[in-house]
Amino acid sequence: MAGLLKKTTGLVGLAVNHNPHERLRSLYSKILASLQTIPQHAAYRKYTEQLVTERFNHVQSEPDVDKLENKINCGQIEEVIFQAECELSLARKMSEWKPWEPLIEEPPTDQWKWPV
Amino acid sequence: MASTAATRAAAGASKVVKPLFSRDLDEAKRRVRELYRAWYREVPSTVAQFQLDIDVRMGRGKVREMFDKNKHVTDPRVIDMLVIKGKMELQETIHIWKQKTHIMRFFQESEEPRPKDFLSKFYSGHDP
Amino acid sequence: MAASLVRFVRGGLGRSYNLARTACLLQQQTRLQSSDTSPTIRPKDAVANSQLAAFGELVAEMMPKYVQQVEMTCFNELDVMIHPDGVIPVLTFLRDHTNAQFRNMIDLTAVDVPSRQNRFEIVYNLLSLRYNSRIRIKTYSDELSPVDSAVSVHMAANWYEREVWDMFGVFFANHPDLRRILTDYGFEGHPFRKDFPLSGYVEVRYDDELKRVVAEPVELSQEFRKFDLNTPWETFPAYREPKEVAPKLEAGDAAPEKK
Repeated sequence: MAGLLKKTTGLVGLAVNHNPHERLRSLYSKILASLQTIPQHAAYRKYTEQLVTERFNHVQSEPDVDKLENKINCGQIEEVIFQAECELSLARKMSEWKPWEPLIEEPPTDQWKWPV
Repeated sequence: MASTAATRAAAGASKVVKPLFSRDLDEAKRRVRELYRAWYREVPSTVAQFQLDIDVRMGRGKVREMFDKNKHVTDPRVIDMLVIKGKMELQETIHIWKQKTHIMRFFQESEEPRPKDFLSKFYSGHDP
Repeated sequence: MAASLVRFVRGGLGRSYNLARTACLLQQQTRLQSSDTSPTIRPKDAVANSQLAAFGELVAEMMPKYVQQVEMTCFNELDVMIHPDGVIPVLTFLRDHTNAQFRNMIDLTAVDVPSRQNRFEIVYNLLSLRYNSRIRIKTYSDELSPVDSAVSVHMAANWYEREVWDMFGVFFANHPDLRRILTDYGFEGHPFRKDFPLSGYVEVRYDDELKRVVAEPVELSQEFRKFDLNTPWETFPAYREPKEVAPKLEAGDAAPEKK
């Protein structure tokens, strides 16, 4: 209900979302689905799954928007939605880049030695 | 540690360099020809737009001279880099971002040849 | 909140606070004055330091493919050294991951060290407004190796990359508008390279006969001279050779194999 009374987020380009729960639910389930394509041992999958599941549980259990914002503790709910959108696009790109593979090339010796 | 050193040495021996654009020399040469053609076609309009005191034949001769200056280069990556720079010059010329002085700089009209023999060196007052 | 307030006071910003808070601020300031004997040096912040180190380890663990080395320099700065292929993935990861959110590119520049095999070091400075922290990404290149352009990730990189191209001659692949930005049209060479002479190659003057500005090879040619500019004092006291300089964190999975 708080979403209906809220007029603005106070941030340029970020409109008030009147139904954040539904949006977050769909985004989080999409993220979790796209994380399934990443192998189990990958650290990115492990940490992101942990983070998203935690937030997902908050969204499921807390119907009040203000309390939900406090529980997630990462800004207004619209910002949380934006973060979830970014995370979703990142998760999809990650399965393409495969950054969990071993290092592609060792740096040349003395590359990172300072002072030379 | 020894194994990594060995692999590094092996990698250094058969090091595959990342190409700029061209994978081999023929492709690089094709790019050079494309650039030369573009310059060749641009010369008449450059002479007209900048109101240069040269004719088209002289301009084309200068273009050819500039290309010939780098004809000893055989590394495709170096050729690519020169082509990139040549393309940027062409863009600056087409959009008339350059001025007359920048174009005429290629012709080096004001430069006097460096003195060669003793007496002319003495007259010019330098001993370089 | 309390921790960040203390950090503000230490930074010297506390004086602009309103009168209501002055009393408690003064208390803190007197306490700080007694403990800080060298005010010109940025004070050590153990909390921020450990947080940054933990985050650096996290990045190395999540992207072992690209991260070569993670380093904490003095004064709480986190350096992540990456392979040049990983510019786009690492920057995108740092921008989009919920626990990073480095959405602002503060600076992009290069360092020329001619003695190295890859002489140019490309440096990206990023800022996360959400977590109030900064990170530095470093990668490397040479005169002929292209680096992927970061414009698709950060719009701010556009002019920075043009500047690096103009000053150092590092080519950025897939840049939308790569051309000169600082030097004059017709200028040859890249002035920030270490082998570019201090006097340049051409000098410019107005020629009265030709009625235009002409450029001629510079008369005052600079011979190669070996300057002995070393100070008798130690320049990098923190970087003495034998001792381990900074806590070096190896990139994730690669560490156990190597030993």
